Amino acid sequence: MPLLHQFCETLYQSGFGTMLRESNNAFSVIESVHVLAITLLFGTIAVLDLRMLGVILRQISVSSVARGVLPLTWSGLAVSVVSGFLLFWAEAEKMYANPSFRAKLVLLALAAINALVFHRTIYRSAHEWERQHMSPWRARATAIASLALWSGVIIAGRAIAYF
Amino acid sequence: MDLHGWLMALAHSPLGHAMQTSRWGFAVVEMVHLLGLAILGGSVLIVDLRLLGVILKGESAITISRDLSRVLLVSLSVMVLSGIALLSEEAGKCYYSPAFRWKMVLLAAAAVFYFTLHRQAILRTRRGTVTFWPRIAAVVSLLLWLGVGVAGRAIGLL
Repeated sequence: MPLLHQFCETLYQSGFGTMLRESNNAFSVIESVHVLAITLLFGTIAVLDLRMLGVILRQISVSSVARGVLPLTWSGLAVSVVSGFLLFWAEAEKMYANPSFRAKLVLLALAAINALVFHRTIYRSAHEWERQHMSPWRARATAIASLALWSGVIIAGRAIAYF
Repeated sequence: MDLHGWLMALAHSPLGHAMQTSRWGFAVVEMVHLLGLAILGGSVLIVDLRLLGVILKGESAITISRDLSRVLLVSLSVMVLSGIALLSEEAGKCYYSPAFRWKMVLLAAAAVFYFTLHRQAILRTRRGTVTFWPRIAAVVSLLLWLGVGVAGRAIGLL
């Protein structure tokens, strides 16, 4: 059995994983936290994306919006990742073969790469364009990619239950 | 028509039939509902954290709220429409669900509060200062909307 599959099976059969999976309340609570965390994560980054697309908050500079929003986004990511890992632990064996779960992880990686590239390139020169109502095309492309990829993560996440 | 009658009419409507017979209908509509939830929650969070003086202190709460209220209205509309579609598929279950009734009560309270007292509290703010009533309004708003979200989650669990 491939190592990754072995890892999933080990988590699934562990005492902790079993307890989570069979618990009446723990799994539901963790899942609820995971779902509501999308508000903190996607709801906030969407505001920054919409700013760069020139849709909202045009009077406020992009870096001001970013400074206000990104700490919230990071918090949302932290909560999502921790709760998500616990959910994964409980269902690891089933997640290994689940195409929607795999798609979700790929989209998550792409969303992270999108953000990383943005911060290392076009955002470096933010002081030159942050006051413009509409940001340069590279920033707008990042914003559209961000909205699409994070939506994809949420959609794939919901679809996990259907496979 | 009473609530039960209304829900049954919804369930037997063309929308209800479409939702009940479609294999992916409920899933797709639920995903739209979920995306709407994220956007609505994000706009509420940012406005209320500004009122609490936690973020964007140097910017006008009125400016922020004006734009994010538009976002809230759009996402709320999306959620109401998708919510009705979900309801048409699960009318019976929701009628007997205390979580669903709580959700509707809290939703009405949150929406009314948002467009009345909350809006007034925002209009009283000036750039850089945080006063008493805006803070209270922000906390009430966050609790009400969080309540809607938790109750909605509980529908599926209880």
